Amino acid sequence: MSDTLTVTREAVSLDVPWNVVVHDDPVNLMEYVVYVFKKVFGYPEPHAERLMMEVHQSGRSIVWSGEREKAEFYAQQLQSLQLRAAMEKAE
Amino acid sequence: MNVLPTLEGGLRIDLETPIDWLLMTCIPADARGTPVELADQFNELMAEDPGATDWREYVLPDLRAQFDGQITLVEEALKSTGGEIPAQIMIYRADGDRWFGVLNQARLALDARYHFEDDDGDEMTPGKLTAWYRYRHYSALQHDLLRHVMR
Repeated sequence: MSDTLTVTREAVSLDVPWNVVVHDDPVNLMEYVVYVFKKVFGYPEPHAERLMMEVHQSGRSIVWSGEREKAEFYAQQLQSLQLRAAMEKAE
Repeated sequence: MNVLPTLEGGLRIDLETPIDWLLMTCIPADARGTPVELADQFNELMAEDPGATDWREYVLPDLRAQFDGQITLVEEALKSTGGEIPAQIMIYRADGDRWFGVLNQARLALDARYHFEDDDGDEMTPGKLTAWYRYRHYSALQHDLLRHVMR
């Protein structure tokens, strides 16, 4: 008879919305941040500008919310374009 | 140095003096001078995430390779001129994002080292002042890229 070792990993909750957050940084040009939001999310210019201003003035902005897998994809895209992006569970 | 848009949607940089050459060679050197690699800085933002381990294992190496590839692109563009003055460097439309990225890396590295927001030009040491000029030059190139290439 052999013993069975069961390893339980805490599953990442997939059933709550996840936020993609962009934090302010001292270097990225405002025009570039708007360009990135349009390119990654396909946002129209006024919405992209509003989010950029929120990052600039408040230090952070929730730029997208939805399922975790897609949030990971967007966070990776934003980081690859050198924005300080992270993810958090929506309240 | 002249920076001109091309008909193909890129930029042509004319290097006319040794100073122009020096300024351009500083881009990859500054970009490689960051105290903490940019990809690792981004990884820290994910430290609290439940998927942080996967992020470190799968995303971080990709980001490192991507950021390093941007620097290599610029190094090879400079090498292709043979170091002769006058010289031309072409930034093709397809490479606009990568050139922008390496300029960003250079500016981030300079800012991390010198903290430009902490004082004004009157109080800067000579080393910090030359770094500030490079920082401004890289910003100007980024504006040209946004205006003419990344549209």
